[in-house]
Amino acid sequence: MNCTVLVCCGTGCIANGSIDVTEALSRALLEIGADASVKTAVKQTGCNGFCENGPIVRIMPDDISYYRVKPKDAPAIAASIGGKPVNRLLFRDEEGKPVLSQKANPFYTPQRKVALRNIGEIDPGQLADYRARGGYEALKKALAMTPDEIIREVEISGLRGRGGAGFPTGRKWRTAAGYEAEPKYVVCNGDEGDPGAFMDRSILEGDPHTVLEGMAICALAVGASEGFLYIRDEYGLAREHIQRAISDAEEEGILGDSLMGGGKSLRLSVVRGGGAFVCGESTALMASIEGRVGEPRAKYIRSVQRGLWNQPTVLNNVETFANIPVIINEGGASFAELGTDNSKGTKVFAMVGKVKRTGLVEIPMGVSLRHLIYDIGGGVIGDRPFKAVQTGGPSGGCIPADMLDLPVDFDTLTQYGAMMGSGGMIVMDDRSCMVEVARYYVNFLAGESCGKCSPCREGLRQMLQILTDIREGRGKKGDVELLEEIGETMIGASLCALGKSAPNPVLTTIRYFRDEYDAHIHEYRCPAGVCPKLTAFEIDPAACTGCTRCKRACPTGAITGGVKSAHNIDQASCIACGSCRDVCRFGAVRAAAKRRLAV
Amino acid sequence: MNITIDGKPCVCEPGEYLLDVARRNRIVIPTLCHHDGLPGQGCCRVCIVEVEIRGRRNIVTSCVYPVERECAVFTDSDAVNQQRRVVLALLRSRAPEADRINRLCKLYKVPEYERFASKSGEKCILCGLCVKACQSLGTGAIAAMNRGVEKEVSTPYDKPSDDCVGCGSCAAVCPTGAIEVKEDAASRAIWNREFRLRICERCGQPAGTMEELELAARKSGAEPSALCGECRKKAVADAMAATYGV
Ligand SMILES: Cc1cc2nc3c(=O)[nH]c(=O)nc-3n(C[C@H](O)[C@H](O)[C@H](O)COP(=O)(O)O)c2cc1C
Ligand code: SF4
Ligand code: SF4
Ligand code: FES
Ligand code: FES
Repeated sequence: MNCTVLVCCGTGCIANGSIDVTEALSRALLEIGADASVKTAVKQTGCNGFCENGPIVRIMPDDISYYRVKPKDAPAIAASIGGKPVNRLLFRDEEGKPVLSQKANPFYTPQRKVALRNIGEIDPGQLADYRARGGYEALKKALAMTPDEIIREVEISGLRGRGGAGFPTGRKWRTAAGYEAEPKYVVCNGDEGDPGAFMDRSILEGDPHTVLEGMAICALAVGASEGFLYIRDEYGLAREHIQRAISDAEEEGILGDSLMGGGKSLRLSVVRGGGAFVCGESTALMASIEGRVGEPRAKYIRSVQRGLWNQPTVLNNVETFANIPVIINEGGASFAELGTDNSKGTKVFAMVGKVKRTGLVEIPMGVSLRHLIYDIGGGVIGDRPFKAVQTGGPSGGCIPADMLDLPVDFDTLTQYGAMMGSGGMIVMDDRSCMVEVARYYVNFLAGESCGKCSPCREGLRQMLQILTDIREGRGKKGDVELLEEIGETMIGASLCALGKSAPNPVLTTIRYFRDEYDAHIHEYRCPAGVCPKLTAFEIDPAACTGCTRCKRACPTGAITGGVKSAHNIDQASCIACGSCRDVCRFGAVRAAAKRRLAV
Repeated sequence: MNITIDGKPCVCEPGEYLLDVARRNRIVIPTLCHHDGLPGQGCCRVCIVEVEIRGRRNIVTSCVYPVERECAVFTDSDAVNQQRRVVLALLRSRAPEADRINRLCKLYKVPEYERFASKSGEKCILCGLCVKACQSLGTGAIAAMNRGVEKEVSTPYDKPSDDCVGCGSCAAVCPTGAIEVKEDAASRAIWNREFRLRICERCGQPAGTMEELELAARKSGAEPSALCGECRKKAVADAMAATYGV
């Protein structure tokens, strides 16, 4: 029997020690290798999407998945192959029953893997693995098609760009194909700057060839002979994998001077990102590739017409390209069966925050937020009340609980003031302060905008000041209206989409959580108990069991009280960080408005 | 091509910048970061106008907006006025000492925004014209440092720059007079550095800094001139007169 041990070596699992696990498994298997009936190979794969529970080890073809594996577990795993699984390393469902296969894991069952189809299944360093799963078949097929036929398939698929704006990919390609100018360029946007997002990183690391194949098909369709992958500064492993994939594919004659021997050439190279969020914006990205400062320019002439070095350029996101081989292989119409009328296919999300199961999920467009958060994510940690979900990162917005049944697609999210964005999704419970959430993103953007145009730079500066004031109890009547006024001007008058979308986190929190702003401003109170200047914590002596957890968690030693007797917080040394409330299992720590306690 | 600006019919070539069309037709649009010699900055956003194409209205930036199709332009609509006022108020809190901005604020009736945090003693609006001017001379002594709200224009590490020739081109293009130039009969101080001035052999007026004249000479392949610009022109004319006897 042949057996493969797949060890997740995405960035998350590597951080949790999966390289050591790989080595330990190889050693353990060698030691028991005497049993020649089982031929095992250990393979490193890309991210399985469930990083929080990593390192993840899968035994194929039995399809048994182990989580949080340590090197010391290796002998047990090795010994179990072909026999009884290692029970303690299995995933447990809601009822505590062990789950063998990833397919039966509630985190994975509702997912539909299209862009992520190979990740976790193949060794990204092995071109042969990719080809064994049908890799580069689409390119072969495309080589036998006319550019128009390729573009028509993409148009039929209804694919819209996954980088944020949702622009129809087919239409972009058709426009680029229509220009006569030579040369033309194809560029992949792997800058992924949203805090908390890691969709594109996983694809670049875990299935690099699929991105290259998508780009090659695009190059054929639009007539480009050179391409760039612009990859975020921090993504060293992704760049390494892509670089290796390019050399391997060139060596095999798939890319390079003659695409699969068909005579057309395509030279791809990797460019290291400029290190700012704004560098992901299309014109800033192109300036950065050209070696100039990563600042946007006015986009009245679009980059499909005049992009890199003023030549026609197609820029698409990593995930957009990853969908292309599937569309060509299976046909645009079959791709379009998934999703909604105007948003076809699937979307990958990085779900994080106060949700029980966090990670990368790929779902058909149009499923509800509730399904995503409750069925896949398992609901809010500690079964606390759900308050909002932030989608779309710094350009997106917060969607409140009464809108949980909204379908996740480009147009719905935009209509409600949020955005699909690149797929970041942060779940928040009742202990999240919406003013603070808005301030967090404004603060992020204040440092990540290029600072070139005045509405964005100065608007963010003033917004940050006002939001900080509100959070610290210096809010004034009229502040909310002023934030709206600044926001409106930024949307209208900013140079690029960063400034035009930067007010979204502020405007959506005002729209759906106005009462929270008012409580801060007029009542000197943070309803969620987050803003330290407005919050004091008290321990309810009747509920306190004297377990001492809070006392141990307090960073300033403000809590006194003996074992099994009610604890007390010394307000003078308390910094209102809320650690005590987070750890208390009896709900004995309560947030109150500071002023009330002070008197 | 025909467009209308505030109802007035205007003729223009496709691709012409809207601001240029407006100016030719004597329609005033305020600008700060636009300079005819260094076009394309497009960052102050005070020149915004509204453009209506097929019934859809959009705010655009007139100094970098190429007119590609027939449209109706509004320089004075409610949306334009409202957003321009906020932009000017934001710029005023960035550069409260800049007279030109204060004048524009008065002209466009920008109310007080007491809530805005104002910088003190600042005149620079970070338009980058000075950087562009310096670069176009090939000196590149100043640059925009940092990004986002921390952005500023200066010489590297705020130290006197070896690349600076003290020509003052930056100060000449600055819309808000933010670059300080101190000059007496013999020297000029700019960007934390002092330059000696060469005195024109003919008229005794300053001809420029030594470094500036040397740079010009290197570019033209001639000896550094001992005359100021005016006298140089006169000298050429005199030489021609001597040669041709006119
Ligand atoms: C501030 C800003 C940051 C962006 N960052 C990214 C990014 O990291 N990755 C990305 O694919 N698109 C990003 N975009 C969107 C790109 O400008 C562009 O729309 C996209 O790459 C086009 O590809 P698509 O049509 O396949 O989505 C960003 C846009 C803005 C305004
Ligand atoms: S909107 Fe912001 S990021 Fe975009 S050009 Fe203006 S300052 Fe730069
Ligand atoms: S110093 Fe003047 S020219 Fe230079 S960026 Fe500031 S305002 Fe613009
Ligand atoms: S890195 Fe292993 S699951 Fe994400
Ligand atoms: S004058 Fe047009 S943006 Fe500054």
